[in-house]
Amino acid sequence: MATVIETENLCKTYEGTVRSLDVTALNNLSISVEEGEIFAYLGPNGSGKTTTVKLLLGLIFPTKGTMRVLGRSDIGAPDVKRRIGYLPEGAYYPDFLRGEEVLKYYGQLYGLYGKDLRRRIDATIELVGMEKARKRLIRNYSKGMRQRIGLAQALISDPQLLILDEPTTGLDPIARKEIRDVIVRLRDEGKTILLSSHELLEVEMISNRVAILFEGDLKTIGTVEELLALRETVIRVRPESDTAIADLRAAGLEPEDAVNGLHEVRVPSEIPLYEALDKCRNAKVQIDSIAPRRETLEELFIRTVGAASVEKEVHA
Amino acid sequence: MKPGIYFRITWALAVHTWREGMRKKTLLGFLLLSILVIFGSNVVATVMPEMPGATTVASDMGTNLIKDICITAISIFGALITVYVSATVLPSEIENRVVYTTLTKPISRFQYLLGKFLGAQLLIIMNLVLMGLLFFVALYFREGVPPTLLIWSVLLTYFEFLIVSALTFAVSATASSSVLPIIAGLFIYLTGQLTEYLRGVVERASIAETFADRLVGTIAQGLYYILPNLQSFSIRTDVVYGSVNDPLIIDYLPNLLSYGLLYALAGFFLAYGAYRYKEV
Repeated sequence: MATVIETENLCKTYEGTVRSLDVTALNNLSISVEEGEIFAYLGPNGSGKTTTVKLLLGLIFPTKGTMRVLGRSDIGAPDVKRRIGYLPEGAYYPDFLRGEEVLKYYGQLYGLYGKDLRRRIDATIELVGMEKARKRLIRNYSKGMRQRIGLAQALISDPQLLILDEPTTGLDPIARKEIRDVIVRLRDEGKTILLSSHELLEVEMISNRVAILFEGDLKTIGTVEELLALRETVIRVRPESDTAIADLRAAGLEPEDAVNGLHEVRVPSEIPLYEALDKCRNAKVQIDSIAPRRETLEELFIRTVGAASVEKEVHA
Repeated sequence: MKPGIYFRITWALAVHTWREGMRKKTLLGFLLLSILVIFGSNVVATVMPEMPGATTVASDMGTNLIKDICITAISIFGALITVYVSATVLPSEIENRVVYTTLTKPISRFQYLLGKFLGAQLLIIMNLVLMGLLFFVALYFREGVPPTLLIWSVLLTYFEFLIVSALTFAVSATASSSVLPIIAGLFIYLTGQLTEYLRGVVERASIAETFADRLVGTIAQGLYYILPNLQSFSIRTDVVYGSVNDPLIIDYLPNLLSYGLLYALAGFFLAYGAYRYKEV
């Protein structure tokens, strides 16, 4: 499998008026994105996600380090950009144009004309489900429609690499699912997708690999399976006596408040399961179910960012 | 990239810039005002009864006044339109973030600038032609002969605006908001009109004795050679006081047009130098 994006010790510092006001947006970033994967690029606001994307597209220039996109180091060259589709966050499209006119304009910038252009417009409009609204003015589009037309303009040249910045922000659940399905379909067709998003549940559902950034530093990178390893077991119990819950607490377990008479007890992977079950039996609770529970991406994100914040405070 | 495709992409950028510009209210406001002045001055002159006993000389003076007003309106509103279009065409793309979608398409920064600059020129030419056409028709009905000299005047005015546009465009390539380029554009236009006066300063300074005066003279001479002389493009006196179908008498016309083109090229390449590695 070919490497589509590769960065090595990539740094970006925005210079202030004096050196003390310099801002390091990206610090020694080394990542690689492989062909045909959805690579989720996550981080809180100001962590360096957009800076990385701008660097990869040649909109800004690195202070240090190297990068290769689609095997080329001449980032920003028209030949390279021809194979990239980009959906920026909160993009603006001229509101006096119709949906298909936007695609026509951006298609022309890819050098597409005539039948080829019309074919690509039809294909992308169908892909993002905008057939009915293609002749409507952008000013009459809902936020979801604008986002779809944005995705369509990113796909107009049938690119190998798609860079999507918050593609589902502001969409209703149905539209979000539809966009998500389009992204998965594109991945299945062999396209590589760099996805920057705050919608962690969605990212978890569709991504192959995840990287988490914090203040310009890469904190975590790996496959979803690696990162979201089995971390705990959930035992649902029903107390048989008034003192049962208090006994469980006394035994070192932490049952949560009851929902429909059932308490959830989360057993971390460090505690052997048989030991936890013994404690439940001794406390006279009826065991309703035992289920392994994987950490969610949201929990991983909060844990990673939280740890990075604490680390930063300690160093400060 | 094949030259044909390169040109088509650049032209698509230019046409899109023109279409966007056509919807700017400020631009339409300037155009409307200029049309109002040109149309209004002619209507007032036609409707107003001639004073009893007015001589041909007085009537000619009235016509000259109208021509002067119209030429001034074209110059002032045309310059405002030129400065506004050239100053905003790049920064507005950064302000509304369209630049991210456009510059990530397979176009070079040179091509992007060329498309934007051509689009700005389409807007300036269209406005100038509209104003000129109205004045042409009004003069034709007034004088009874096609005012051919006016066509030359409009053409030369365009070259004047081309210089202002290119230099303003160069300033706008360094900026991320339109305010500074607008101020710079107005400054370029005004100083360009005053370049001729610099020559007087140089001459006066050459006979001065103090060091300060000579220094001023040297600076004035430097500015005289650097700044464009926009007055060279004006044939206002010929249009206002001459007959409107007189032939154009400028021996150095090819040189003058080359002078305008050279300044425009310099401005465009300065813009490219500033934008080539600009971080957006």
